Amino acid sequence: MPRLPPSLFHTAAQIHPLAPRLLPVCRSLASVRSELRWIAQHVLQSQSSHLVPPRLRLWQLVDLRATGLPLQYVLGSQPFGSLDIKCRKGVLIPRPETESWTLYLASLLSSSSSPSQGLRVLDLCTGTGCIPLLLSSSLSARNTPLSSVTGVDISPRAISLAQENLAHNLRLGTLLPSTGSKIQFLQHDVFSPDFVSTLGKEEVDVLVSNPPYISHRGFATDTARSVRNYEPKLALVPSPEKQALSSTEHPEDVFYARILHLAQQLESPNKVVLEVASLEQATRVVDMVHSSPELLREYKTIEIWRDEPAYGGGVIPHRIEGINITVSVRGEGNGRAVYLSRD
Amino acid sequence: MNPFSICTKLRPLILSRSAPTLNHVSSLLPTGARLQRIAVAPVQLRHKQTFSRTQMPSRPKPPSDDEIEESFLKGSGPGGQKINKTNSAVQLKHIPTGIVVKCQETRSRTQNRKIARQLLADKLDLLYNGENSRQVIVGGVKKKRADSAAKKSRRKYKKLAEEKANVTGEEQEQEGEQEDDDIDQTPDPRPEPLETHPENTVKLETVDYAIDDSQDTKRIV
Repeated sequence: MPRLPPSLFHTAAQIHPLAPRLLPVCRSLASVRSELRWIAQHVLQSQSSHLVPPRLRLWQLVDLRATGLPLQYVLGSQPFGSLDIKCRKGVLIPRPETESWTLYLASLLSSSSSPSQGLRVLDLCTGTGCIPLLLSSSLSARNTPLSSVTGVDISPRAISLAQENLAHNLRLGTLLPSTGSKIQFLQHDVFSPDFVSTLGKEEVDVLVSNPPYISHRGFATDTARSVRNYEPKLALVPSPEKQALSSTEHPEDVFYARILHLAQQLESPNKVVLEVASLEQATRVVDMVHSSPELLREYKTIEIWRDEPAYGGGVIPHRIEGINITVSVRGEGNGRAVYLSRD
Repeated sequence: MNPFSICTKLRPLILSRSAPTLNHVSSLLPTGARLQRIAVAPVQLRHKQTFSRTQMPSRPKPPSDDEIEESFLKGSGPGGQKINKTNSAVQLKHIPTGIVVKCQETRSRTQNRKIARQLLADKLDLLYNGENSRQVIVGGVKKKRADSAAKKSRRKYKKLAEEKANVTGEEQEQEGEQEDDDIDQTPDPRPEPLETHPENTVKLETVDYAIDDSQDTKRIV
């Protein structure tokens, strides 16, 4: 990390006496200004629920943020599309890239023909429940019928937070009660042998997941300090027992192998979206699909989505060296998700 | 004659309730100058109207999405689960005019996109409609109101000061014969202006950081 010049701290002190404290974590004056404004707004809005005087509370929260704690944990929430998602330590904070592809998937689902009884959606490793909640909210806003929406996570903390988020957004009115009654969250291990039978479902139309996808080495070298120190490793790196199940030289891909296997057991959902770390990981997942004749037969469309799949002017063919496959890459930014569709 | 000075002279005419006539305008021009019609972009033109205090021109509509080039603030590095950025800035470029607006007002990108579109609409309104744009009309009305309030308060304090001066003058005439001791004790005729101390108010963009102590003491008591 580059060193911050002392003059920057003097400039920050002129903005606000607390601003220099935020500078080491925010790294730029613009970001300090925004975060300070958001913290002050939060203090003023939540004034009635705290006995601490607002000026002291502002100081406390800035102090917490200055330790490196993510702003979303300090404020307890993160906007996600039209929703407000509660965030708490122990559950991964929703990322803007996830928001982008979820909204893009919702626009695809509402423009294509859907089954008359309504879509059945399954989200694995749901965390805060942000993906199923946003999908439900934007699909019901576009009058696409939903039959059931299920979020699954191994962590009981995540499941209770997801249920809180469902209730919270129903209360805010960002989710309609008719949609909310179709959403459920289950605590379950994706790797357990009886996963499909305990799910109580044989078929699913849309399968999405943002599983842990970072390698041990990547966690130590590539992750931001606030992620490494404060976010749950369970949601970022596949646990050693699970990595041991992998037979490839990239054990961090173990969740994709499992989810693609589940996709076959669930009668090949119409659409599958799996979030990945990079274009390299995306090509490895595409390679997994290509190495399974059953999946390759079912899925006519295989695409890699970048950070902003809706922008950047459509699809560009990308040739994967080594395995001689050409795959379509959509959008702009880093490689972010693998999209499979039967249409 | 510099075009700016014509504009500043025209401004009160445009903001006044009656529309300026040709005579009004030509009277401002230097002798020998002639009025000439100038072609203005035929988009979003608003007719010259007069607006009362309550009725203001409606907010301009943002341009259609195919005229806009949208970009998001991209952090360098891997993104996704590996980093945790709080900045959700949105930048819009209006392709026909090249105007660029940026918004990082809220934490929500959805919200920032809406705000950025409204900002762009306001800028285009100012560009196309000039003196007839919402921004200028609303700003003009606000300035007029603030000016008249300032004028009133000036008048009030002047009057108070005059009254005080008269009273002390009379007292001095009466007391002058006896003793000149308590002249220094006469209070300052003008009360302290209501200024907030800079330590208490720090304004950052839109939110006022000044947290009112009177409110929380009320709540705790």
